[in-house]
Amino acid sequence: MSIDLLKILSDSNKDIDNQKLMDYLTGQLSAREIHEVEKSMATSDFVNDAVEGLMEVTNSRDISTLVEQLNKDLGKKLQQRKSLKEKRKLKEYPWMYFSLVLILLLMVAAWFVIHRLRVLHP
Amino acid sequence: MNVDKHQHITDSDLLKNFYQEKDNQWLGMLLPRYTLLLFGVCMKYLKNEEEAKDSVQQIFLKTITELHKYEVDYFKSWIYMVAKNHCLMKLRDRPGKSTADLLENVAGVVSDEEQDLKFHHLEKDRTLDLMGNALDELSVEQKQCVTLFYLEKQSYQAISATTGFSVLKVKSYIQNGKRNLKILLDKKLQRK
Repeated sequence: MSIDLLKILSDSNKDIDNQKLMDYLTGQLSAREIHEVEKSMATSDFVNDAVEGLMEVTNSRDISTLVEQLNKDLGKKLQQRKSLKEKRKLKEYPWMYFSLVLILLLMVAAWFVIHRLRVLHP
Repeated sequence: MNVDKHQHITDSDLLKNFYQEKDNQWLGMLLPRYTLLLFGVCMKYLKNEEEAKDSVQQIFLKTITELHKYEVDYFKSWIYMVAKNHCLMKLRDRPGKSTADLLENVAGVVSDEEQDLKFHHLEKDRTLDLMGNALDELSVEQKQCVTLFYLEKQSYQAISATTGFSVLKVKSYIQNGKRNLKILLDKKLQRK
């Protein structure tokens, strides 16, 4: 009991995973797990606000679908940003890409010349 | 709900990798960890599912932009502050809505966590006596709820049934009781 007294102010950094929060909202946790989630709520304003807000969603079963949709959209946005960044890179260094193409063309031309010389002077 | 495949990597490590490589793929692993919490916070303040959903997307965009500009140490506290500020702006745009409650909490976010860490590192025996004294100095309701919650590990619902207080009251007694305990303990430590 005495050690628990100290824990009142010291156990703030234990994170509760999303699945456990969802199970809390849908009433699928044991008494011990409920206490664990509520302890996290009492310690973190972030978790407390989130749970209070999630309790206001009309159908808590829809939350998972909604979260997955939001994560998919986030993934798409990050991918779009990546493509834009790559396109911008191409615009920023046009000489580098021009030089690469030129070197490749010269190599092909050199191969043709060497090949031709070998045919003419076997 | 999808399981986080990268849960073995901590938030701070993901952020560190992002700052080193400036690659958004690291944010793609970090941000989904907070989607549910952010949606909940937006729901609490905006009370509208569509608006909350749009807000989460806007918070993500803001987060991505801001993280490219400067380094963040405590990501969880920081993104919570970003979310609350976003909701505050939204509420300000609504005519006739009070933003006082929201403003009250915004300042305390980081300091609460820092203070928890401070007490975590205190010498155990010395703090234990002081905590016992501080607990006795709380109001009867706060002491009762804090004791039942932290020491007897009862749920909000169970405490409500035992004491006859509403669940909302129980939460409030626990949160305020804990805050008062910190203040009392801090005072006692300064006196010693």
